[in-house]
Amino acid sequence: MSIDKNDVILEIKDLKKHFAPHQSLAQTLTGKNRKVVKAVDGISFDIRRGEIFGLIGESGSGKTTTGKLVMKLIDPTSGTIVFNGEDVTNSDKARTHAYRRQVQMIFQDPYASMNPRFKIKDVLEEPLIIHKIPGDHVAHENMIIKALTEVKLNPPEEFMGRYPHMLSGGQRQRVATARTLILNPMMLVADEPVSMIDLSTRAEILHMMKDVQRDLGLTYLYITHDLSTARYFTDRIAVMYLGRIVEMGDADDVIDNPLHPYTKALIDAVPEPETGKVDVIKELPISGEIPSPANIPPGCRFHTRCPYAKPECSAEAEPELMDVGNGHFHACRRYKEI
Amino acid sequence: MSMKDFTYRLGEFWADFRKETSGLIGLGILALCVVVVLLEPVFLPYKDIDGNWRDITYWEDNPPAAPPAWTNLFAKEKSATTIRFESPSVSDEEDPEYGPVRVFTFKYPYKFDKSPLDIIMRAKGTGMLFMNISMERPDGNSVFLGQVYQDGLVGDQIRFAVDTDARGSVYEFIRDHASEEAISQSDSSNVKPTEIIFAQTGEKMLSERIPLKGDYLYKIKIPASLFEDGSNSIEDVRLVVTGRVSGVLGTDTSKRDIYSGIIAGLKWALFIGLITSIISVLVGVMYGIICAYFGGATDTIMSFIFEVFVSMPMLPILIVLSAIFKPSIWIIIGSMIAFYWVGPVKTVRSMALQIKEETYIEAAKALGSSKWRIIFKHMAPLLLPYSFANMALSVPGAIVAESSLSLLGLGDPTIISWGQILHDAQLSGATLNGLWWWIVPPGLFIAVMGMTFAFLGFAMDKILHPKLRTR
Repeated sequence: MSIDKNDVILEIKDLKKHFAPHQSLAQTLTGKNRKVVKAVDGISFDIRRGEIFGLIGESGSGKTTTGKLVMKLIDPTSGTIVFNGEDVTNSDKARTHAYRRQVQMIFQDPYASMNPRFKIKDVLEEPLIIHKIPGDHVAHENMIIKALTEVKLNPPEEFMGRYPHMLSGGQRQRVATARTLILNPMMLVADEPVSMIDLSTRAEILHMMKDVQRDLGLTYLYITHDLSTARYFTDRIAVMYLGRIVEMGDADDVIDNPLHPYTKALIDAVPEPETGKVDVIKELPISGEIPSPANIPPGCRFHTRCPYAKPECSAEAEPELMDVGNGHFHACRRYKEI
Repeated sequence: MSMKDFTYRLGEFWADFRKETSGLIGLGILALCVVVVLLEPVFLPYKDIDGNWRDITYWEDNPPAAPPAWTNLFAKEKSATTIRFESPSVSDEEDPEYGPVRVFTFKYPYKFDKSPLDIIMRAKGTGMLFMNISMERPDGNSVFLGQVYQDGLVGDQIRFAVDTDARGSVYEFIRDHASEEAISQSDSSNVKPTEIIFAQTGEKMLSERIPLKGDYLYKIKIPASLFEDGSNSIEDVRLVVTGRVSGVLGTDTSKRDIYSGIIAGLKWALFIGLITSIISVLVGVMYGIICAYFGGATDTIMSFIFEVFVSMPMLPILIVLSAIFKPSIWIIIGSMIAFYWVGPVKTVRSMALQIKEETYIEAAKALGSSKWRIIFKHMAPLLLPYSFANMALSVPGAIVAESSLSLLGLGDPTIISWGQILHDAQLSGATLNGLWWWIVPPGLFIAVMGMTFAFLGFAMDKILHPKLRTR
């Protein structure tokens, strides 16, 4: 599988985000430095044009921070973000403004991501006003109707006059998607878009998002902790653990044939709704909580929870991502043995 | 927000508001105040109070330091009230002394126990005028008051006050009626003319006065020959009977009508209170939002400046400022704003810190919203209800501060404020002289105005700040 450079829409290189905890004056003067929180600790990946790239990990793995870094809502400590061949890591105000027109974000909580005092119409018109899209009120209204139709909110005219609190979670997430689509972006960052929606409507929303992606030729960065939706929804997957990518590859390949013990554990933890197995609570091969990102274990950062850990895992340097061919990467030195 | 939304929200607010009794009382008083301010000329017995408040001649027909007219209700002996007569009856008569005369007559029904303080005739004359003024009493006696002779008038004011201009003539009247013994014991200088005119005659009329009630005729006789060639004329003849009690709220020692002052001061109190509170609250709210939104060094520096202003005592600095600058209402309002804007800052800052972390603010940022769009479109509207309540609550402070400054004599001399009325009262020793009607009303009005806005503010605070709801 060859990667054409022109095919890559987003290229993340060695991206790091370290949060320095608030220091008192005395701490600064005495040089007593408290440890920084390494939320994202050197990740690299490429997203190809038109693909859905899944970023998977449990709480605290740094996946949301990665999303915010890509959105430029926070500034990275180091590393580069190249979008469409242009380095946007430290771009100026005007460039960032233009970048935000092309990269949009869907937030996790559809109940909080819209100003409760805005009508749906105002919510959708806001990006048009911000980016000074030419056209009068009527032209804007037509764009809004078009966007609402794309996300299958019918009839759109009826929804425009409503307030967010009058809508269900699924409808809100459709509106949130419509808000991102109205500017015709190239890429969407979807941060757990269905995790707060009723199970019954999740599939519908994902279907809708996939339809939109196919119709408009969009690229998605799909952030989730849910392997089952990731497999259904994404083309490629990167598994994050404690601020680093531990495994990356085609979605089916990674899930059917996991190489890293952490990925294996995640897959094993997915409950299977099969007859006879429903009541069986699986024995999790890993135990304990994810360590604090302020205090990352030496060596392989997973060794504290890894059932296959050997002394060398903690003694030797952290393994880099290794390619086993066909675009499947992993970061486990002992993958052959396990 | 469209008009329909606005009216809907307003309706919702009103539904809550009408459950608050204190709020309704406040709203009622405020509405009354607004009506009074709008219809000020209707409520004021005098014209252009603002321009004439410090003009002593404007008020010279009033009694000095007279209690309110309604005190008669509680008094055993009724005092004469102030009455104005505008149009005399004019007739041509044959006078035994002067021949044919033109007579201007005012009829004054006297039914009090204490005589008026003065009777003042005013007219506008042109050319040469000679007039003979007398008073016909109900008992048939006629009191000659005096004569006025003026030449070369060009529409000039003629003023004849009994209390000053008729002392000699009234003394002649006493000579005709009182006993020799009584007269020898007194002299004309300490006899009050009006007391004699409105008392029964008799031997002892100088020592004890029994009121003579009935219709009195004030007559101005002008020889008819004066008007023959047309170059001499008299017009706009008026008569003021200056009572011992006056108006709704009495007068001060400078003869000014206190009721008029209070009514004219109402608009200034409202103006000062509202302008100061609206501007200072808007400034404070914006300051708080900016502090919270920008955070970091901006927040630290702005919070420091805020703390400096908070810890400065306002009144001493206002006194110094008023002493440096020529006292003007704008300087006073400006310096009050400079101290009052700190009021809402801390609360708004903490509220804005909370709003700032909402996902929809982040979403707006991700859409590319500018800082100012987020501040004005997303954050400020949420803090608006709080601002309204805060505005209402800071009105009384501004009114009281202006009154304090005025009481200290540092007010703007071109306006009438309640504090200035109190200041004048204090200067004239109103408390020592028992002129309570000069002190109580302005003080009471300051208090009521403060109460009105406090009521409004508390009610709004309760509704718009749901955490405070007790229901």
